[in-house]
Amino acid sequence: MVNKSVMVVGGGIAGIQASLDLANRGYKVYLVERSPSIGGRMAQLDKTFPTMDCSMCILAPKMIECSHHHNVQLLSYSEVKAVKGTTGDFVVTVLRKPRYVDITKCTGCNICAEHCPVEVPNEFDEQLGTRKAVYMPFPQAVPRAMTVDKNNCIECGLCIKMCQAGAVDLKQQPQEEDYNVGAIIVATGFDIFDASQIPTYGYGRYKNVVTSLELERLLCASGPTGGHLIRPSDGKIPRTIAFIQCVGSRDRRFGATYCSSICCKYSVKDAVLIKEHEPNTTVSIFYIDMRAFGRGFQEFVNRAKSEYGVRFVRSSPGEILEDPASKNLRIWYEDTVAGRIENAELDLVVLCPALIPSKGSGDLAKVLGAEVDQYGFFKAADLITSPVDTTVQGIFVCGYALGPKTGDIPDSIMQGSATAARVAEVLEGSA
Amino acid sequence: MEQAKLEQKEFEPVILAFCCNWCSYAGADLAGTSRFEYPTNVRIIRVMCSGRIDPTFILSAFRWGADGVLITGCHPGDCHYVQGNYMMERRFAFLKEAMNQLGIEPERLRLEWISAGEGEKFAALIRDTTQRIKQMGPNPLKTA
Amino acid sequence: MTEQEPKIGVFLCHCGVNIGGVVNIPEVVKYAQTLPNVAYAEANIYTCSEAGLASIRENIKKQGLNRVVVASCTPRTHEPLFRSACREAGLNHYLFEMANIREHCSWVHKQQPQRATEKAKDLVRMAAARATWLEPQEEPSLEIKDTSLVVGGGITGMTAALSLANQGFKVYLVEKEPELGGNLLHLHKLYPTMQDTKEILEPTIRSINASDKIETLLSTTVADVKGYVGSFKVTLARAEEKREIEVGTILVACGAANYTPPKGLYQYEIYPNIMTQMQLDELLKTGKVTKPPERVVMIQCVGARKGEIRAMDLAGFPKSDTARLLAKILKAKKEEGWPYCSKVCCMNAIKNAMLVKEKFPKADVMILYGDVRIYKEYEDFYSRARESQVKFVKHIEEVPPEIAQAPDGRLLVTAYDALSGQEIKLPCDWVILSTPMIPRKEEVILARMLKVPISSDGFLMEAHVKLRPVDTQIDGVFVAGAASGPKDVPESVVSAMAAAARAGTLMANKQMTTEALTSVVDEEQCIGCGLCEEICVYGAHYVEEGTSHTIAALCRGCGACAAECPRRAITMQHYSDDQILAQVKAALMEES
Repeated sequence: MVNKSVMVVGGGIAGIQASLDLANRGYKVYLVERSPSIGGRMAQLDKTFPTMDCSMCILAPKMIECSHHHNVQLLSYSEVKAVKGTTGDFVVTVLRKPRYVDITKCTGCNICAEHCPVEVPNEFDEQLGTRKAVYMPFPQAVPRAMTVDKNNCIECGLCIKMCQAGAVDLKQQPQEEDYNVGAIIVATGFDIFDASQIPTYGYGRYKNVVTSLELERLLCASGPTGGHLIRPSDGKIPRTIAFIQCVGSRDRRFGATYCSSICCKYSVKDAVLIKEHEPNTTVSIFYIDMRAFGRGFQEFVNRAKSEYGVRFVRSSPGEILEDPASKNLRIWYEDTVAGRIENAELDLVVLCPALIPSKGSGDLAKVLGAEVDQYGFFKAADLITSPVDTTVQGIFVCGYALGPKTGDIPDSIMQGSATAARVAEVLEGSA
Repeated sequence: MEQAKLEQKEFEPVILAFCCNWCSYAGADLAGTSRFEYPTNVRIIRVMCSGRIDPTFILSAFRWGADGVLITGCHPGDCHYVQGNYMMERRFAFLKEAMNQLGIEPERLRLEWISAGEGEKFAALIRDTTQRIKQMGPNPLKTA
Repeated sequence: MTEQEPKIGVFLCHCGVNIGGVVNIPEVVKYAQTLPNVAYAEANIYTCSEAGLASIRENIKKQGLNRVVVASCTPRTHEPLFRSACREAGLNHYLFEMANIREHCSWVHKQQPQRATEKAKDLVRMAAARATWLEPQEEPSLEIKDTSLVVGGGITGMTAALSLANQGFKVYLVEKEPELGGNLLHLHKLYPTMQDTKEILEPTIRSINASDKIETLLSTTVADVKGYVGSFKVTLARAEEKREIEVGTILVACGAANYTPPKGLYQYEIYPNIMTQMQLDELLKTGKVTKPPERVVMIQCVGARKGEIRAMDLAGFPKSDTARLLAKILKAKKEEGWPYCSKVCCMNAIKNAMLVKEKFPKADVMILYGDVRIYKEYEDFYSRARESQVKFVKHIEEVPPEIAQAPDGRLLVTAYDALSGQEIKLPCDWVILSTPMIPRKEEVILARMLKVPISSDGFLMEAHVKLRPVDTQIDGVFVAGAASGPKDVPESVVSAMAAAARAGTLMANKQMTTEALTSVVDEEQCIGCGLCEEICVYGAHYVEEGTSHTIAALCRGCGACAAECPRRAITMQHYSDDQILAQVKAALMEES
């Protein structure tokens, strides 16, 4: 009797794709996601390169398909705690964290949040915006339900009073549940390098030095500024912006000596987006190598240069200093092509940090018994012949959990589908 | 009085465009995703194949006041349904003649092949068609 | 028209600011409420979100709607999503229509928001008019055979075939050459592991031959394809022999070719010892080198990243050389070439540079580049290469290096170093040209047979560049490997498995429902002339007892028969004359 069920750990685009491919061929899929909603990084993006599709627009239908699919059971706000067994017969213990909201009753109407008196920084907006202690991480969240952040909740009870559906339950307890599955797919994605580890760039000290993910939230219509590009210190529209590539990557000091693969591409995309919003803003990209590889990207870079006037400066800037009055930034750099030392004054600096293994993925690897590589990403059993198998039989991996690879969305989707093929091969076939 | 009114405002033609789902409608979508700007005069009607376009649709369009009609489909040899576009091409020749008979300039009807990857070409086509129809002035049947 | 009076619900999407930032949505909502047969209209921030879909479902029930119009993005992405919302509320999903006010409006009329708003109103009016005439339909279902055809026996095709066989399906693996292996047969070692290609090929080919589910057909090509998803009828050809097979799915894995420069480009085929990277691979593989090179110069992006040569920002250059540089640029002709970056050539060049150093430790290896485009964990490989004294020189790409022959028979490469602005002269023994992966001619022919579109750069076009990278527009036809763009071996392998997963899902379900867009003959009007039978390429019409009949399972809904029928006796379901004419009329006039 073949156990045609799978647990997918991680509800970003790779995990979603793997889930749908398996669910569509009759597998029972348990999609585990540790945050309150699936969607992952793609939900945080404004647009995707090089077609400039609205990221949420192309992601949302897939998220909804997952939530509606009769073969997919969403285990949101949950984490994998223990794994026993082998291929065809794994027993996975999943911790169901308490939301303090009954998602079968909650309609996502938001009235509780409207009345909640506690406001805290919003993780989804990379701490740039705020949310309440009872919140929905973003408007298109799946499942469409609220969550109570007990750490910040003052237990005033207003939400309970206002909820028409009686969905708030502050007495919920964490539950551990066991699931018997035939295979496991890891799709835990990435986190970003903490740029404050490079003190010369001033991240964390200077308000107008932001990461690219923070910039995405600023540009996104559903973000903290409604899509208006304004700078954090004074809310003014930045007139000069610089992107700095390879912050933490290709850098022996921090161990992330690999290239994160997508930063050159997304910085060009963001530069073009900024120019579309504010044609009078000067945008410069400081790079070492402009890694806009693959179909359509060189053409995208050419367009950025000629049509949008984005400046490309081959330089890895040394230091960023802040003018304490204006909060403008001054960077000193060597333009390696012109052979001169220059400095520039900027309203906003965007750092493109290395993409690192998702926090906690190391612990998950230990729980699964899977090996990780020197950077902490899940190691493939063989780079060429078994690129989506982990070192444990019956456990597969896709998306950025595998490490940079090509790194972009189509790549994650292909890996997600590839793990589905492997699961089908292993559970049904002769492999 | 009507004539004076028409002369006062700049003439903005109304152009109907029939686009086939597989090629030209997708090309129009690509023009959108790429954000190529073009004039607002066009109204797109989606069909599965340019071969679906009955001559009645086009003649009715002119009768009801369209200043121009644009038919777009897959390039010869690439029709999703093999030869629908060839059939449209044949009808095109007959339609031009019919328009002559009805007193409408045949140049108001245009047939072009646009593939799913030709977003820029689609935008350029709309700009060009709008410009041409503007120069021709309003549909003579409107003022007749 | 159905017996009931149509009650249309209109849902207008802001799409964040994508539409709402240009089109005045509240104004269009008000307008929609005035349209004939519109019983309800509302705006949503994102109609495709849970909240939007819930609203559609609720309002269908609450307002008793029997038609739904969503004015948002292109139906080509979201129509299935909204259709399922209608189904869930008990409404036949053919009673649903979309107005494209994003790709066809807000995104292309950003500079004219007022006119865009007026256009949006027209598009909504057209959609409502069409919706009035829509009718409920039932969808036929298609049987999917559990056999697959994989075209191409390289690493991609073989990986896909093995995955499909392991999933339990029968596979025909077709390869035009007399042996399996594809491009890997001509390559020497693979980065970053430096494995011999034999190490990958031999076990893979062994597995293929050992599988009882895979039938390998060498020296065979695809001559013709008929039919559609679930039952493609493919004619294979080997020399003079022809064979017909029937398959449920087709995977295109015919790979890419390597661009061979035209004679004369960088003196290729004019002076000796100028070769492509692939030719260098063969040379290193066969090992027949008469005189070890003292210096090897590799030139990147030969025939790639071309297009218009952009005017350089001369302000960046040391004044001393500017005049000479300017003169050279003006003289530089536009090279023949491909506009895209072929992704793998930087890594490939570095790999070959390391192999040359390994074989000829005293050789000086230099790579002239514009950008070093390696990525992922290969960065470490790049570091190792630099540590092994492979020299990387950023040159001014806009001035193509010149190759001359010295009197002693050696070659002389002249280029401009981008960092110093100085001219550099490099006497050397071998010049290696890194050329891009380009689409194969055979692939273009195959694409035409399958009706798969080709992108403007010549590769097969995926169904959606981001979301459906191995699907094609044609149901049942998938693409993997370099056929859809330059890829290295690990990427090709992943895409092969992804395509095998997608094809496998289709075949595992054994059947699939298709759209109800079929033709219907009005027997009273029909005079049995047989024109529809003659023109239908799918053989979906037959005339019997003086009347034409449709075979619904074969009809693909193109509508050619309906347009050609002299008696207007044929109706296309969901694209009827009434429905289309209603749109035409609504586009041109407002009904009072």
